[in-house]
Amino acid sequence: MTDISQSAAVPGTAPQRPAATLSARLARWLPRLVMAPSFLVVLIGVYLFIAWTLWISLSSSAMLPRYDFVGLEQYVRLWNTPRWHTAVINLFLFTGLFLGVTIALGLLMAILLDQNIRAEGVLRTVYLYPMALSFIVTGTAWKWVLNPELGVEKVVQSWGWDTFAFDWITRPETAIYCVVIAAVWQSTGFAMAIFLAGLRGIDSSIIKAAQIEGASLPRIYASIIVPLLRPAFLSVIVLLSYISIKSFDLVLALTNAGPGGSTEMPSTFMFAYTFQRNQMGVGAASAIMMLMTVAAIIIPYLYSELREDTHGH
Amino acid sequence: MTKYKTLLLATALALPLPVLAQEKGTIEVLHHWVSESESAALNVVRERMAEQGFGWQDSAVGGMSGANATQALRTRLASGNPPGAMQFLGYEGLNWNAEGVVRDFSEPANEKGWFDAIEPEVAEFVTADGKFFAMPINMHRQNWIWANKKVFDANGLSVPQTWAELIAMGPKLKAVGVVPLATGDEAWQIQLIFDALVTDLNGPDFYRKALVELDTEALSSPGMIAVFDTLREVRGLVDDGFVGRDWAVATGMVASGEAAMQVHGDWAKGEFLAHGLKEGEDFLCFATPSKTPSYLFLIDSFGAFTTRDVATTAAQAALAETIMDPEIQRAFNRIKGSIPARSDVSVDGFDSCAVKSFEDRAAAIENGAMLGALTHGFASQPQFAAVFADVVGQFFVTDMTSQQAVDMLVNGIANAM
Repeated sequence: MTDISQSAAVPGTAPQRPAATLSARLARWLPRLVMAPSFLVVLIGVYLFIAWTLWISLSSSAMLPRYDFVGLEQYVRLWNTPRWHTAVINLFLFTGLFLGVTIALGLLMAILLDQNIRAEGVLRTVYLYPMALSFIVTGTAWKWVLNPELGVEKVVQSWGWDTFAFDWITRPETAIYCVVIAAVWQSTGFAMAIFLAGLRGIDSSIIKAAQIEGASLPRIYASIIVPLLRPAFLSVIVLLSYISIKSFDLVLALTNAGPGGSTEMPSTFMFAYTFQRNQMGVGAASAIMMLMTVAAIIIPYLYSELREDTHGH
Repeated sequence: MTKYKTLLLATALALPLPVLAQEKGTIEVLHHWVSESESAALNVVRERMAEQGFGWQDSAVGGMSGANATQALRTRLASGNPPGAMQFLGYEGLNWNAEGVVRDFSEPANEKGWFDAIEPEVAEFVTADGKFFAMPINMHRQNWIWANKKVFDANGLSVPQTWAELIAMGPKLKAVGVVPLATGDEAWQIQLIFDALVTDLNGPDFYRKALVELDTEALSSPGMIAVFDTLREVRGLVDDGFVGRDWAVATGMVASGEAAMQVHGDWAKGEFLAHGLKEGEDFLCFATPSKTPSYLFLIDSFGAFTTRDVATTAAQAALAETIMDPEIQRAFNRIKGSIPARSDVSVDGFDSCAVKSFEDRAAAIENGAMLGALTHGFASQPQFAAVFADVVGQFFVTDMTSQQAVDMLVNGIANAM
């Protein structure tokens, strides 16, 4: 919100001249007028409902909202629920692995594609294509691919390797990695595209200078190119984190939070408690916990970015 | 071009139909019946309404065993725009009645003897303090076993009389490459095996104490440990491809002979009939084995939301009387695969599994073994039923011990109180 008021204030310096004409006054008010509807929508659609959810999480709401006050009772209940613990552990496990693997693979693919190879356009489209699918489609397709009786395991066994086993999706302790696999498959091409754009933006004279100095290719990548990709890294990390927190549809389609609740995520937990189990208070409490987690990551990030801006970065 | 012409013609022909039936008022009915047999069954009600001159606005919200429809209803109620009538499952009708938003039909109920037409176990979910707030249309039984007769004959198997006998059939079937029991890993599919085991092993009184009254002593008793021990053995009957398997796919496995049995409600019958199979020749239906065979029921009922709109009010009354009409219930349930919620409808015209259902219900009422099915929300409120689903679902796919499962159950119930 601060940046809105700031950007609105900047044109305000213009009509310092004594004769403030109509057009100058319009120029001063126009940004505010244009911003007002979206500001209102965000204020009501986001902040009002955050406040409402907070209130519900402090009430005894069950099937329908109930506007009383029971303190932190719902939070105590939430943290006494083993399912919630699974959801929190899964979120961190999933986010960490998903970000790490997607970035590593995406960067590798971008670097390989950047070597002036033939048919680059075709390959780029092939890698980017999964992004065009919805997570529901990805989840359903991977559900079949990973099913030991239908997918990879069956195929490899039919080739003659009888002892081959790939039944991760049937085992509660490994099922979450299947969700990671499907999510990585979907998003790697997207990370690759951003990295590739970043690579193309690097001034080739820097690389040539390093080559003249006698630096090896891996060394050029490690010490010059990857550090120069910092903006691309930031965009990828922010976009992927947001995908991982809202990874509701993928989990629902791939495992439906199973087997035995082992792939529960905070988002599926919140949905189940609010709409299926008549425990709206617990659902709201879990939503607030999710918000706090996101805030704990985003606020320091925003703070550092905004501070850099004031230093004229 | 001709294609477009036929399309136009078809559209033109289709248009006037709903208009005809709207003279006396239209009722919007929110339900989650989207499959072919379900909507065909509902058509029986719809046509009778049309004959009486009432329109029918169909709002079918499928998916997630009715959870999506429930969510739609909450949104509609919150915005002050409830549908004329809504399908209720489990405690929903009772809960909406407690909120004071549904209409009371005790007047026609007293006049036409609806109170006496249903069993007290059913009345618990559709009446309260002399009010009749939801019209039950059908009754399903959850604890059936569906078996492939050819597989049974080929391996010299007969209908098991105890769960021990059923489990003992496992190795024999596996040896010939048949999956003994087909199921999916979804918690509700496993939970309905659990429901059956609770009453089959420990009797109906224990079921009521543990699953309805949520008595801590019963929940942590050796009887409950035995239920989990048996469930662990049942796990051994299931193949490894059960993750993400839809119940209808599991039924298909029994129909094709890939699997021998499935523990499932009688909506599975439609799948066999759709494959062109016949009861007694191709497939068998029998109750889960027990000394006192129980009848774990679930009902679908329709409630009406209070409104000031006169036309809708009239349509609601007509809908209530249509649903409670014994002949409508017969016609509806013959298509749906269930049996009438009213206990005074004769068995004429029903298939052999349904006839068995009628007989078993009468026997179970006599033995006090007619019980609400926990899995479908007819034993305890959703927040508790979900705890059972969590524990049972997790137990089935992990190597948790029975004692751990019981502890988790007791703690989970206490936490949800």
